Amino acid sequence: MLNQERRVSVVMEERSPHDRAERQREFAECVLPEVEMLLRVAMTLTARPDQAEELVRGTLARAYRTFDRRHGRQPRTWLLTLMHQERTDRRRLRGPRPRRDREAGPGPSPAGVSGQPAKPVVLGQSFHEVVDIALAALPVRYRQVVRLVDMDGLSYAEAAGSLGMSEATVKSRLRRARRRIRVRLAAAGLVPGRGER
Amino acid sequence: MTCRQAGRVLQAYLDGETDDATARRVAVHLEDCRRCGPEARAYREIKRALVRRTEPDPDAVERLRGFARGLLQHETEGEGEEQTPVA
Repeated sequence: MLNQERRVSVVMEERSPHDRAERQREFAECVLPEVEMLLRVAMTLTARPDQAEELVRGTLARAYRTFDRRHGRQPRTWLLTLMHQERTDRRRLRGPRPRRDREAGPGPSPAGVSGQPAKPVVLGQSFHEVVDIALAALPVRYRQVVRLVDMDGLSYAEAAGSLGMSEATVKSRLRRARRRIRVRLAAAGLVPGRGER
Repeated sequence: MTCRQAGRVLQAYLDGETDDATARRVAVHLEDCRRCGPEARAYREIKRALVRRTEPDPDAVERLRGFARGLLQHETEGEGEEQTPVA
C-alpha cells in the first residue's frame, strides 16, 4: 500500500558488488541497533503491540528505501522521523476513526497507555502509585511526551521527531505533564508545596 | 540566576538538555535557594519514578531484526520488489 509515496524503486542504481556490500554493512550498523528502541517508541505511539510491530516494519522498509538520502543525520533521529512519516501515511490510508475505537479495539492496552479517568488520590498511597495514577490520568498528548522522554529515554529532539512537532512543544507538554503529576503528589501529601512551575 | 530563570529551565536541566554553563548556574541556584531546591528534588523524584523502562517483547524485536536483515538479503538477490507488509 505504497501508492501514496513517490516511487523510489530505484534504490539500487547501478552498484558494484563492493558498493552494495558497503551499503549493506552501513545499513545493518545504522539500523539494527535501533530496532528495540523503535519498537519501544512504537508501543508508546500506538499503544497496541500488533500495530507497533507493523509500524516498525513499515519504518524499516522506509529506512531501507531511503537509506541513501539520510544525509548524515543521526541514525536515531532519522529513524524516528521516518517512523512519524510512516505513521502519518498509515493513518491517512486508514482514514479518520472515532476516538472511542481505541477502547473497543482488539488487543490489550499496556498499563498507563490508554486514557483512564482520574482516580482520586488516597492518603497512604506510595509515591510510585500516585505517579502511576497521575500518568494514566494525563491527556494522551502529555502522556506520550512523558513516556517518550522518561521511559523510552529519547532526547527532546528525538521525541519531537517521532511526534512530528517542535522541540518547544515537547518541552512545554513535558513541563505541563510533570506539573500535573506534581500537583497530585502534593494533594497526597507526598511532596511539599504547590507545584506552580 | 533568579528563581524565575531557574524555573524556566528546570525541566530541561533535569533532563540533561541544557548546555554546561546553564547547568552550572542552575545547580548553584538550586543549592542556595530554599524554594527552588525542594522543587527540583520533587521533580527529580518524579522523573525517577517514571524511569521504569519497559522492555519490549524480545520475540518481536528478533522478528523485526530478521525483517531488516531480510531487506538486505533481498537486495543481494537482486530483486526490486518491496517487502512492506500491509497494515
